[in-house]
Amino acid sequence: MSTARTLAAAFVVALGTLAAEQAHAYIGPGAGFAFVGSLAVLLVTFAIAFAIILTWPLRLAYRLITVGDPYKNAKAKRVVILGLDGMDPGLLTKFIRDGRMPNFQKLAEQGVFRPLDTSVPSMSPVAWSTFATGVDASAHGIYDFLTRDPCTYGPMLSSTDIVAAKKVVNIGRYVIPLGKARMKLLQKSQHFWKLLGEKNIFSIIQRVPITFPPVPFKNGMLLSGMCVPDLRGSQGTFSFFSTETNDGEAKFVGGEQTVLRPNRQGKIRSRIVGPDNSMLKSGGRMTLPFGLEPAADGKSAVLAIDGQEPITLPLGEYTDWIELPFDAAPTVTVRGIAKFYLVSLEPEVNLYMTPIHIDPENPAMPISHPEVYAIYLAKKQGKFATLGLAEDTWALNNRVVTEKVFYDQAMSIYEERERMFLDAIEQSKQGLITTVFDTTDRIQHMFYRYLDPDHPANAGKDTEEWKDAIGQVYEKVDGLLGKVWHLVDDPNTAFMVISDHGFTNFRRCVNVNSWLRDNGYLYLKDEEAFESGEYLEGVDWSRTRAFALGLTGVFVNRKGRERSGIVEEGSEYRKLVQEIAEKLGQLVDPQTGQGCVRRVAVSQQFFSGPYRFDAPDLLVGWEGGYRHSWECAVGQVTRDVFSDNDRSWSGDHCVDPSIVPGVFLSNRTLAEENPRLIDIPASVLRLFGQEIPGYMQGQMIFPEDGAEGTTKGMLDPTSLPQSGAAPGALIFPERAETSPRRASGES
Amino acid sequence: MQLFNSISTTVFDVLLAPFGHGVALFDLILWPALLGVMAILVYKAVSNQAALTRVKSQISMRLLEIRLFSHDIVQVLKSTGSILWKNTIYLGNHMIPMAVMIVPFMAVMAQLVANYAYAPSPTGAVELLHVKLDPESGVSSQDVQLAIPDGVALEVPAVKTADGQVFWRLRADEPGDHVLSVFVGDEIYEKHWAVGGDDRKIPTRRLRGIESFLYPSEPTLPAGGPVLSMEMDVHSRSLPFLPDGELGVVLWTLILSLGAGFAVKGVFGVTI
Repeated sequence: MSTARTLAAAFVVALGTLAAEQAHAYIGPGAGFAFVGSLAVLLVTFAIAFAIILTWPLRLAYRLITVGDPYKNAKAKRVVILGLDGMDPGLLTKFIRDGRMPNFQKLAEQGVFRPLDTSVPSMSPVAWSTFATGVDASAHGIYDFLTRDPCTYGPMLSSTDIVAAKKVVNIGRYVIPLGKARMKLLQKSQHFWKLLGEKNIFSIIQRVPITFPPVPFKNGMLLSGMCVPDLRGSQGTFSFFSTETNDGEAKFVGGEQTVLRPNRQGKIRSRIVGPDNSMLKSGGRMTLPFGLEPAADGKSAVLAIDGQEPITLPLGEYTDWIELPFDAAPTVTVRGIAKFYLVSLEPEVNLYMTPIHIDPENPAMPISHPEVYAIYLAKKQGKFATLGLAEDTWALNNRVVTEKVFYDQAMSIYEERERMFLDAIEQSKQGLITTVFDTTDRIQHMFYRYLDPDHPANAGKDTEEWKDAIGQVYEKVDGLLGKVWHLVDDPNTAFMVISDHGFTNFRRCVNVNSWLRDNGYLYLKDEEAFESGEYLEGVDWSRTRAFALGLTGVFVNRKGRERSGIVEEGSEYRKLVQEIAEKLGQLVDPQTGQGCVRRVAVSQQFFSGPYRFDAPDLLVGWEGGYRHSWECAVGQVTRDVFSDNDRSWSGDHCVDPSIVPGVFLSNRTLAEENPRLIDIPASVLRLFGQEIPGYMQGQMIFPEDGAEGTTKGMLDPTSLPQSGAAPGALIFPERAETSPRRASGES
Repeated sequence: MQLFNSISTTVFDVLLAPFGHGVALFDLILWPALLGVMAILVYKAVSNQAALTRVKSQISMRLLEIRLFSHDIVQVLKSTGSILWKNTIYLGNHMIPMAVMIVPFMAVMAQLVANYAYAPSPTGAVELLHVKLDPESGVSSQDVQLAIPDGVALEVPAVKTADGQVFWRLRADEPGDHVLSVFVGDEIYEKHWAVGGDDRKIPTRRLRGIESFLYPSEPTLPAGGPVLSMEMDVHSRSLPFLPDGELGVVLWTLILSLGAGFAVKGVFGVTI
């Protein structure tokens, strides 16, 4: 209606304007603005469109001559892969049997549903790297989120290396970089969509983890996923503004805590802390001052960020994405986006702000390939979450927000992702479309305790309100499948639903560093001390032979690899890893009297790839219910080896990979009974009629001749291990767990 | 129209008084630049900024789409069509601000033309005075007479045509702002003629009705009177680096005001 009104007004005014003799020369800047703007648009449009249309036959001919018809031998002209991080085959089966997943049931019955063997170790950066490359961790080099810097023993991101521009010019108080910061994806091997691109098969890749920084490739677009940092460069630092204090200090912990101090009228002035300002010689953080004025009725507040229009924050609701422009230097603005959530106004003011995401419309770092792809998506669908770990699990873990706040956030991110995915499918009638949804993973991490009435994390927390959160998310995804169905229901489209791993309970924390200390493998400089600082601070490297960092790994302090390594290569090393593996494998939880380790993999025996030397020397395969402790993950030694996990992060998958397979569903039947994540790239290549490169470790799982496969229909629910699964997650609560399944790369 | 012209002329006479008419280039930078800034502020106030932002974003999105999906000729055509449609909407969104701005900004430009586009006739120049009668008034061109002041001479007798036009060939013997009196029946109509001296506001045409809006230097001819127009040949003022006369002033004002507007739009947070 408004468009019609606008056009009618345009017509009337245009008539009047044209009727005025000589006026056209005088109509001035008002019309000039319109004329210049629209003329520019028209010129650019026609220039680009004509260039593309006129050269299209030439480009087509060139492609046919150089590559030929890329789909000549294809078994599918389009492959659509819906990635659901962490979707668990046990829970999916349970919900299907409960009648809550009609679309998944239909897909399973008409096609196939099987567990999907995950990677070793079974965590997202490793698994999705395997998905992207078709090789195991020893060939793509990603073993965990974090690894240790062998030169410092300090932590470093496994996936990304960012180095500031080397050449700079000093002007006054500013440091002007002469070039861009160098960002490098540390993942080795190559993405299979690059191979498709070289054969002129187009790909749209959205939010596949460990794709930051994006690696350019031909014929396709990619939006980076997990491990995209926030604007501060971290993996997600929320901000919490509160009037609540403990002796003047912030009461809450985690993230960026700011104490608010209202004036006599109740108005508040504070500032949003942004990224480090590397353009200032004196350094420091960029900030955005703001005012917060609670409304008289106590149901909202007005947030006025300096230089921007004030916005009303309703109590208990998220805002839309708010632009946060940080001025680094004159004419240099670093742009981020965040959402605000007004938690409370009385008796205390509590305001939560999400981590500052890179603004997709003005990205401070490349988050897509080509760079304009993120801009295109933002313009098409509105601003969206760009942070790798977009759902703010830390805020809930630190209890600065409630389950509802976290759930609402996760759902809004899910909606953004759904729009992207559906749009990509509608736009591409040929080629590969892959989108990974993280919601399933994050909700299961944070709400798993609701499935286990006796979970240690339930103490002092709600156990009723959100007890069906996981079920609701699964239903939501089933709804997505329903929307996708008619878009992929054609014989030329191969459709797959996959997850990188499943889920199990996380009740008990095991500090492997403390165990190594107790068993004489790790020593602290202070012999009287039982505890160390984070990231192995206080460890005596002259005597320490092994240490743990990350979520599954144990490193040997190897001579020639670690800076202060003491374990000689050869027999000493082999004997040590074997000894630790055997002892650790017999570790018993004193609380239950049962073993908590299913298997310890010795990397040098387990892996064969070229980067096995960089691997943690041992990978601990926990039984369900156990995981490296929070302190162990950050290289800390604590007094006790075992402790209860009382955090909201109550489900996990960093256990023995055989316990937590992912899901595989497809509208096509299979030639293999046991599909593996590592098989997916090889299978996609074959579906498009391309050869599988020799370095890939997977195989084609669909029938090569296009005939009906032998593996089809629903999986056998009794085949799922469900080790340690919470009572609420069990398909057959009365059933004991079965034997472990084979994991990817395992010989 | 007379009232409007009187007000705009009075305002501009006051505004321009401190600057005089000596250095045209200075005036023609200052005023168009101010005009551009004013235009951008008015534009912000009367336009639907949210709609403009939205449609611009949609246009740039489609442009990116053409680039990203250049392999898909159908998508390219779809996107191109969408851009053309969005561009129409974009133009439509400009119409209301254009309608609001067109009258005042035309008045400003007319004032700038009157003040800076023309030069006085040099002493000794011979120019043509052209009076056109309204055919519906019933007045014959034979009934039209001219009274000339001292310092102006009639070169040849008037030429009077049957269709109601009268031409006098006049010579400027002395500098000054001469007032030529044209007698039409019992009524007298004055026409000013600037001869010699400094650059100043130059009267060119006297018109009646809405067209007089663009010629504010002299009073509007009365509606319903026998005279349609009175026009004196004038000399275009030579402008450095610009086309001479009206064309130069109009184009320059348009371009500079646009440039100024685009330059400051970011400062005022305006989407065009």
